[in-house]
Amino acid sequence: MTQIAWLIALIPAFPLAGFLLNVFLVRGERANGTVASLSIVAAFITTVIAVINLAGLAVESRYIAITLWDWLSVGQVTVSFGLWFDPLTAVMALLITGVGALIHIYSITYMHGDSRPGRYFAYLNLFVFAMLILVMSDNLFLLFLGWEGVGLCSFLLIGHWFDRKQVAPNIVPSEAAAKAFVANRVGDAGLLLAMMVIVSHFGTLSFFGSDGISGFVSKLTDASFTTISLGALGNVGLVSGIAFLMILGVVGKSAQLPLFVWLPDAMAGPTPVSALIHAATMVTAGVYLIVRTHVAFDLAPDASGWVVIIGATTALIGATAAVTQFDIKRVLAYSTISQLGFMIAAAGMGAYTAAIFHLLTHGLFKALLFLGSGAIIHGMHDVQDMRRMGGLRKHMPVIFLVYSVGALALSGIFPLAGFWSKDEIITHAWFSAQNVNVTMVLLLSSLLTAFYMGRQVALTFAGEVRDKDAHPHEALGTMKWPLYILAVASVLGGLINLPGVHWLNDWLNPVLHQEAELFTLNMGIFATVTVLLAAGAGYLGYRIYSSPITERLAPGDEDPAHYYLGDIWKGFEMGWGVDYVYQRIFVKPYRTFATFLHDVFDQQAIDGILVEGSAGMVGRFSQAVARLQNGNVRTYALVFLIGVVVLVGYIVIGV
Amino acid sequence: MLPTIFYIGLSAVLFVIGVCGVLLRRSTLMVFMSIELMLNSANLALVTFANQRQSLDAQIMVFFVITIAAAEVAVGLALLVMIFMRKQTTNIDTMTTLKG
Repeated sequence: MTQIAWLIALIPAFPLAGFLLNVFLVRGERANGTVASLSIVAAFITTVIAVINLAGLAVESRYIAITLWDWLSVGQVTVSFGLWFDPLTAVMALLITGVGALIHIYSITYMHGDSRPGRYFAYLNLFVFAMLILVMSDNLFLLFLGWEGVGLCSFLLIGHWFDRKQVAPNIVPSEAAAKAFVANRVGDAGLLLAMMVIVSHFGTLSFFGSDGISGFVSKLTDASFTTISLGALGNVGLVSGIAFLMILGVVGKSAQLPLFVWLPDAMAGPTPVSALIHAATMVTAGVYLIVRTHVAFDLAPDASGWVVIIGATTALIGATAAVTQFDIKRVLAYSTISQLGFMIAAAGMGAYTAAIFHLLTHGLFKALLFLGSGAIIHGMHDVQDMRRMGGLRKHMPVIFLVYSVGALALSGIFPLAGFWSKDEIITHAWFSAQNVNVTMVLLLSSLLTAFYMGRQVALTFAGEVRDKDAHPHEALGTMKWPLYILAVASVLGGLINLPGVHWLNDWLNPVLHQEAELFTLNMGIFATVTVLLAAGAGYLGYRIYSSPITERLAPGDEDPAHYYLGDIWKGFEMGWGVDYVYQRIFVKPYRTFATFLHDVFDQQAIDGILVEGSAGMVGRFSQAVARLQNGNVRTYALVFLIGVVVLVGYIVIGV
Repeated sequence: MLPTIFYIGLSAVLFVIGVCGVLLRRSTLMVFMSIELMLNSANLALVTFANQRQSLDAQIMVFFVITIAAAEVAVGLALLVMIFMRKQTTNIDTMTTLKG
């Protein structure tokens, strides 16, 4: 048992070692990339071995735990650096290390010629380390360490090109990085408060406990009727309160309704960063948190109700916004927001396995789409505006193939991976949760997803190249294999949880205790209808945007649909105005205040009065005193005289 | 002997004249002479009190003062000669190397 336990400690150790090596020892672009990739590949292999070992354990005790050391002890509360490896952790770790390894290998070609490769690969490794700590921790405090760690690495990596003034109209990398971190932080306040409530009521932050002390998850059921008094605001259920506070953290990290504004701007970072952090891993941390603490959400129906509402609304906002974007990566960013909304809605409805299933398949095909778009951008020499593209089917055939696979998977076309996972969520909403509104919203988002992917594929690949000065070429290098592997995975990914065979559900059963739903004919008909609708929407999108009206689109032109839909289109493009509201209410006044402090208070008051003023006073005083030392002998004699007079006078008059 | 106040007054006046000479004369030689004047005014005061008290202690001090004055003048004039050989002037305002 100890051998296997040390094995799981190795999993995060490899990326950490890669980070330290890249920071302190390794120099040179090739070496950086190789060391970083090898460490993640090693982590992946270790994860696979650990999973095989895990599968060999009996179902009732299917977990591996190891406590590395005691971190903090305050009074009765002890927080230890403990790792926990159960089926849920296993699937997350496989996704993180697997997709992470592919992205590292991809980055070796993509970041060729960058001015700071060491920094990039070091932080990429640090990110994987933090994310692994997040999913493998056995207590909420260590999870929070990983949570903050991925937020930090997101900041560092989005701002990788911090010396560039802008990478797209109105987006400055350093500002986008700050925006991401601040939005995350606002959510983290909620998670911290949840942790404080848990500690104060249960005395432990450990999920499942160790050495006889039970974790708080098992205590939640007993506390389901405890209430906290909020004074004049009345009483709120303890478990409800914890769940609501955690929702705040999830909203920040997983870019849901009030706090999604950072994700589109986060595209200012290098594309592999977007693929890893903002498609497959970091943004899924929120979903993981909900699933890990699902007992709390099961016991607090009002909280999980809000989760569903937030998820469904965000899915719709993301989908409508993605339809209007012209930047190839912004489409995918809003698409991620939308798909995360699906996952969160699923988690809110109690379909935790469906949420994790969609998390996994989405990680695969979204990473594929991002990496594909990166290859396009790379081949078009840093052009991201789709209005300058077109006709790339002829110039980049391989990318066209894999990108189309990703697009079909995202749209939920049978039999690719996205169909199975997305349909499981929508079916659950219709049949199990029996919620018409949510089903309609999710279905609409799904159709819009297919539509905007068809639109994107048409604008990018169909027709002729619109920018006459562009010279697109396909030079893939190491980017080839990750794209191929992810494309195959996107096709076959649905196999892990087919209705009837549901391997994932059985695997996660020890953790989630969910029985798979029986597959009925109604569900089959429903699924068929949704697929046909999605296929129709996708085809419509493709036809509209590959028709002659898009032949002469140039940067700065409006989308043709804008003319017909008017300002609703503009509203969609701005993400329903949420970012605009934040800019007006928070950012502008804050900036004005900061400028005021800088110009008036800092420069005039502090620098002028306090610093230069006091220095000036000292200077003038010393100048006055220096006039005594003018070298004139007679002055010195006068001073002697005065001194003598004072002395003698003192002796004679007052003794 | 006249009342001592006259002799002390004279001594004081001579001393003040000497001080003014030190502070106000431009020629270093004149400064030395003023210093001598101050010393002699002190001698006068000592002798007056010696006479008033019919004591010899003060008179012995006078001898000390005269001797030391002579020695000091020797050294001072030697310095003055060296300075004059350098600067070709005895103007005390030109000796400002202690400035700063």
